[in-house]
Amino acid sequence: MSSTASGGYPRLLRAVVRREVVLFLRYPFEALGTIVVLGVLFAGIFLGGTALAGQAMADSIEGIVVGFFLWILAIGAYGDVAGDVAADASWGTLERHYLTPFGFGPVLLAKAAAKLLTHFVYAGVLLAIALVLTGTTLELDLVTILPVAVFTVASAFGIGVAFGGLTVLYKNVTSWMELVNFVLAGLIAAPLVGNDLLLALPLAQGSALLQRAMRDGVRLWEFEPASLAILVGTGVGYLLVGYLVFTLCQRRARRLGVLGDY
Amino acid sequence: MASRPEARDRPRSTETEHRPAAGGDGAADETALGGRDGAVALSLEGVSKTFGSGEDAVTAVEDVSFSVERGEVVGLLGPNGAGKTTTIKSALGLVVPDEGAVEICGVDVSTDPRTAYEHVEAMMEGARNQYWRLTVRENLEYFTAISGEDPATVRDRHDRLLAAFGLQEVADAQVRTLSRGMKQKSSIASTLARDVDVAFLDEPTLGLDVESADELRRQIRDIAAERDVAILLSSHDMDTVEEICDRVVIVDDGEIVVDDTVEALLGVFETQRYRLTVRGVEPSAVADLGVAVESVTELDGRVRFDVTADSDAVYRLMRELDGRDARLETVETAAPDLETAFRSVTGDDDRAVIDDDPPRTGDERAVTWDDSPGTGDERVTTGGDGA
Repeated sequence: MSSTASGGYPRLLRAVVRREVVLFLRYPFEALGTIVVLGVLFAGIFLGGTALAGQAMADSIEGIVVGFFLWILAIGAYGDVAGDVAADASWGTLERHYLTPFGFGPVLLAKAAAKLLTHFVYAGVLLAIALVLTGTTLELDLVTILPVAVFTVASAFGIGVAFGGLTVLYKNVTSWMELVNFVLAGLIAAPLVGNDLLLALPLAQGSALLQRAMRDGVRLWEFEPASLAILVGTGVGYLLVGYLVFTLCQRRARRLGVLGDY
Repeated sequence: MASRPEARDRPRSTETEHRPAAGGDGAADETALGGRDGAVALSLEGVSKTFGSGEDAVTAVEDVSFSVERGEVVGLLGPNGAGKTTTIKSALGLVVPDEGAVEICGVDVSTDPRTAYEHVEAMMEGARNQYWRLTVRENLEYFTAISGEDPATVRDRHDRLLAAFGLQEVADAQVRTLSRGMKQKSSIASTLARDVDVAFLDEPTLGLDVESADELRRQIRDIAAERDVAILLSSHDMDTVEEICDRVVIVDDGEIVVDDTVEALLGVFETQRYRLTVRGVEPSAVADLGVAVESVTELDGRVRFDVTADSDAVYRLMRELDGRDARLETVETAAPDLETAFRSVTGDDDRAVIDDDPPRTGDERAVTWDDSPGTGDERVTTGGDGA
């Protein structure tokens, strides 16, 4: 008799995290390349902005650094989920993930969470580079930053999971994903003042809270309960909606017989 | 060209037939390995699937029913586009059938897939069924862990698998660095790394050299027996199917046309194929002899041709030849291989059956013939076009 999923979700998560860590450490040049590319991108923004805007750039540099940090996390959470599904589908391992007693959805979430961990490493290293490059200091209270960042990127995660489902169904949705990349950057920079509707958008509320935490040193327990509730609500809400879209897409893919085809 | 036998002649059996359990009365018996020898591990009942709708509707499979018992290796065969993939994907729940039911170890795949998936694993993409940037052992551990088993507690099983497939020396090498054959073995090992009751293997010997394919066949056969695993194997490699499968299920145009043992299938065709060598008749006149004639070859004033017919028809043919003053030199009966039987059943000389086979010499297909006068086997080839 075969086993059941006796190890539970922690074993599933441990397995996919271990794989992610092994590959991360086994291919350091690839990881270095990611850091260099994103570092150069930030340097270009900073140096170009300084040359063009001078003091205005200097006045807003803290916000830009925080936004850059969040953007790295967000594109990782969003892009890697769909990218991972596409890679598994084209590679031939997608069906095997579908055929686990955990179900496809939990496996996908675990893989996405594992990817997010590596993006925290990238984001941390790039944050340090950005701080050194700009000569800026920020409040780095992990007790505040980590939960706010996690619930913030949860909404990007949800969009990524939805795109994971669309990838299962339509295979190549790269153009749409690139478009969403720009939208995410806009949402991180969205001005919230005077527009409550924006609070319901993914990333927007989290971005605002993270700015306050890292620039002004506001601690987690010092945020208004309503602000935290919106943060948690949007993060969980988008994740659930994304998961629903994913579930519907993979059901349709099974009806059409295109699951795993690439 | 092989003629398509009449439907009544085909060994057709779409009814679910279960062999009695070894040493028992048909009830499931516990084996030393904890398996239930003889128990049905996989069953499909009336599975149908149509893709598209209206004028564009394509029926991929229709009313497909068969079962596989524990420890049994069953070959799923069919020409390209016959419905093999849809059958396998339906069995795995990767395609939702329009009708019918699939049970894995008694669990309905459509209503309780997670429980069903505790018992099953599949190699659907050959050597690409694993992560090439992980080592062989890491792949075994990864796919074990994502099924809920603790890899640390099944290390012995993994060691045995690595030993069985000759992978101990490369256990810690990344799969991408291995040869084609080793990658394939690693893929199968990772498929069997879990404690599964049912395994699907799609083209397990694809692209392997003769020696590696032989070795792999033995290993699959041994593992099925030792671990009491039901294996459903899809392959275009008839040698593989003939050598390791207990039974074959042949699908054609979405329907099962054969569900029988390899021996029984070959037995049906053994007495139906004859090769005649005749002197005193023109090759062009052979077609008028009143039987289905294949592979007409002119040899030094003689004509050699194959017929698929029952013995009465062959005697009538002999009388016809005698009436034309033709001299019959030899009559040989065929000992057809599975490929010959497969082609006869599916009428599949025109479709690309062996597209994915390991390379053969030219475009020829080997058929073994027994020389009736008792001169031993003669290895001859028929033209690739079957003419």
